[in-house]
Amino acid sequence: MKIMVCLKQVPHQDARLDIDAAGTWIKEDGIKFEINSYDTYALEEALRIKDAGEAEVVVASIGPERVTQALRTALGMGADRAVHVKDAEVQGSDALGIARVLAAIAKAENPDLILMGLMSDDGNFSAVPPMLAELVGVPHTTAALKIERSGGNVTVDREIEGGAHEVQELKVPCLVAVQTGINQVRYASLKGIMAAKKKPLDVKTAADLGLSGKVGAGAARVKVEKLAPPPKGDRAEILKGSTDEVVKGLVGKIKELGLL
Amino acid sequence: MGSILIVAEIQGGKIREASYELASFAQSLAGASGRSVASVVMGASIGALAEEFAKRGGGKVYAAEHAALAQYNAETALVAIKAAVAASGADLILISNTPSGWDVAPRLAAALDAGFVSDCFQIAADGNGLVLKRRVFNGKLDATIRATGEKVVASVQPGAIAPFTGQAAGSVEKLAVSLDPAGQKSRFVGIKQSEAKGVDLTKADIIVSGGRGVGDPAKFPEVIKPLADALGGAMGASRPVVDAGWLPHEYQVGSSGQVVSPKLYIACGISGAIQHLVGMKTSNYIIAINKDPDAPIFEVANLGVVGDLFEVVPALTAAVKTAKGG
Repeated sequence: MKIMVCLKQVPHQDARLDIDAAGTWIKEDGIKFEINSYDTYALEEALRIKDAGEAEVVVASIGPERVTQALRTALGMGADRAVHVKDAEVQGSDALGIARVLAAIAKAENPDLILMGLMSDDGNFSAVPPMLAELVGVPHTTAALKIERSGGNVTVDREIEGGAHEVQELKVPCLVAVQTGINQVRYASLKGIMAAKKKPLDVKTAADLGLSGKVGAGAARVKVEKLAPPPKGDRAEILKGSTDEVVKGLVGKIKELGLL
Repeated sequence: MGSILIVAEIQGGKIREASYELASFAQSLAGASGRSVASVVMGASIGALAEEFAKRGGGKVYAAEHAALAQYNAETALVAIKAAVAASGADLILISNTPSGWDVAPRLAAALDAGFVSDCFQIAADGNGLVLKRRVFNGKLDATIRATGEKVVASVQPGAIAPFTGQAAGSVEKLAVSLDPAGQKSRFVGIKQSEAKGVDLTKADIIVSGGRGVGDPAKFPEVIKPLADALGGAMGASRPVVDAGWLPHEYQVGSSGQVVSPKLYIACGISGAIQHLVGMKTSNYIIAINKDPDAPIFEVANLGVVGDLFEVVPALTAAVKTAKGG
């Protein structure tokens, strides 16, 4: 069985979010990046299937040179091969553009299972997985909290409201977008990181995938015009001063509420 | 200009409140541009619901009735929605960002080769298309997004607008959908209800919750729990804490955990992702302690402390104990 895992490298969750000069994205210079948290759970799920038997895990990602680091980390955790689409022409793609790039890889790789995170920690769009499934022509489901395989089917518990789970059954090949918390994600071992250096990492361009002119900012129908902090309307009153003063203020308020 | 199509959702035998919110957006956009409003209602037996939605903002309602639409499945829902898009000539399709909405909406956009924006809380039209607003970076920033193209699919954040309560002219038309369960590549199997909670946070008067900022599972019994105990309250947590396995799911406050409304909610090291805020923002009083002054939690809190929770919380615990003992 072959599993393709789509990864996105995103600004670290604790990174400073300063707006760039154009006012349309954040300043990426000097901040740390990491693998999108949702995608790490997808990779872990793939690696568990690999550990349980015969499966090849191919990781794919799109982005500039820095993305190499994310792919090396994934290889260090146990993925077998990586595909990196590194091309300025892809920059500025909207979700459908990104899905087209991943679909071209998926069509070449022909995986039995595509796994990825439900959404990204930066854009929070939650758009690419169902789009990719449509472009590849396979069934999909999202927010997976349990994935079981039997015969040619995958049975998925997906998170719905109120803590309930909805069970969907998909025929293989299929795509499953996972929710955080589906598993406990492993760390790359030192041995794994050493071994990762020898694993194949293919670099591709839009032209290699037959997508020249079909992706990137020019093809995008969805563009961020402005990025700004949310309006600060009814913000909390902030207590200032030393720890003692702040605590005095808090205790005073809790007393006022009649709870102390 | 094409019409605006609302994808209505049935939950528990009723049209969801979120669908009436879509009707609010659709009716206001239609009023501004002279476009017509249409809807699709799908299910196994939906006659009365379709009639009701038509009268309450749904416009021309396409009733997609089929046994295979009784329960949500992306594949069958997509067939019905695509049929309604074709029948209505819609160029803007609105879907609620609910578990089924977020599952099918992007796939619909890809199938229609449409622009797609998810989880919007504001939608406006101008001469160059649509301008939509949504949160990014887990609620820390607002993005204003322009969507162009022949068709646009937008998923809308539930609760972003008041539901449509007026009366509007509407009608119902049966929509033929061709579904062959034998040819499907996926199917709905069932619903598993949540198990009884060992920790019922909904009954607590005071909840002290810890988030990712607590940083270490050992700090929950050392720092968070003592404050909860001192106040006679319960301990809660945000999703990242539960995902990391630091605390079991029964402590989780949020849209996928417990939705609480205590007299006092103290959020420690919780930045305030939307899914957490949904679960606690109706608390009577909210205190937030966080080192990041820009954390979205301060938007819903009444009182805040920008500082190190490891200094403030133990000091507060001690002060509460003194106040109770004294």
